Amino acid sequence: MATITQLENGIVLITLAGELDNHEANQIREEVSTAIFTGKTRAIIWDLYQLGFMDSAGIGLILGRMRDLVPVNGETLILNPSPTMQKLFQFSGLGEVVRICTVEEAIDEIGGVVHEK
Amino acid sequence: MKNEMTLSFLAIEQNEALARMALTCFIAPLDPTLDELSEFKTIVSEAVTNAIIHGYECDGKSMVKVHATIDDRSVKMTVTDEGMGIFDIEQAMEPMFTTKPQMERSGMGFTIMESFSDGIRVDSTLGNGTIVTFEKNFSPVTEVSRMR
Repeated sequence: MATITQLENGIVLITLAGELDNHEANQIREEVSTAIFTGKTRAIIWDLYQLGFMDSAGIGLILGRMRDLVPVNGETLILNPSPTMQKLFQFSGLGEVVRICTVEEAIDEIGGVVHEK
Repeated sequence: MKNEMTLSFLAIEQNEALARMALTCFIAPLDPTLDELSEFKTIVSEAVTNAIIHGYECDGKSMVKVHATIDDRSVKMTVTDEGMGIFDIEQAMEPMFTTKPQMERSGMGFTIMESFSDGIRVDSTLGNGTIVTFEKNFSPVTEVSRMR
């Protein structure tokens, strides 16, 4: 399951939960892509804190959206994957965009507006 | 302990979760660590997804077969399809190689299966199908982990 939130400053927050396999990736791909192409997206934050399982389909989904952002030189951050998911990101060369931090800290890194809770 | 199982299911994407769940239950008596369990689940998912979307191209009428055995703390599993087969196994196992980039396949499946298992073997004949065999050894259960 994906919960998509449009934050200010062109940041899209995608919170994933449950199990992200090939079937699930195909279910949510369109929704995620639509969200990115509406508005001026310049960064995507994927929060995997609630995600219980992910295989290489998740890598494909995230890499695909990184490609979507190439024309605008957009940024991607992947937050809080499990140790096994972290290995998958390492294998795929995405280790550099993985962070263990809160969404607020990620927004801060990208240079967005952090609202007081 | 010794145990053995066979599971057959239609080549549809929904069954990726079925295979993961069944195999996870099958190895549960080994009391795997969290990392071992999620790595094993990932291997199952990659192998079964390959059979469904590459072997059979999600035809929804062919059957994928998963056979697994437990021998002490070692699990051996084969995932068999009678689908199209792999043209060049060596190339298919290269990281980032995929025949389906339009489906956003990352080409990492075999790399992941190799990294998370203790041995993988791929037998394939064009037009006849593919058998992926792998083995994973689980760490001995310590007194501390038993007390979890």
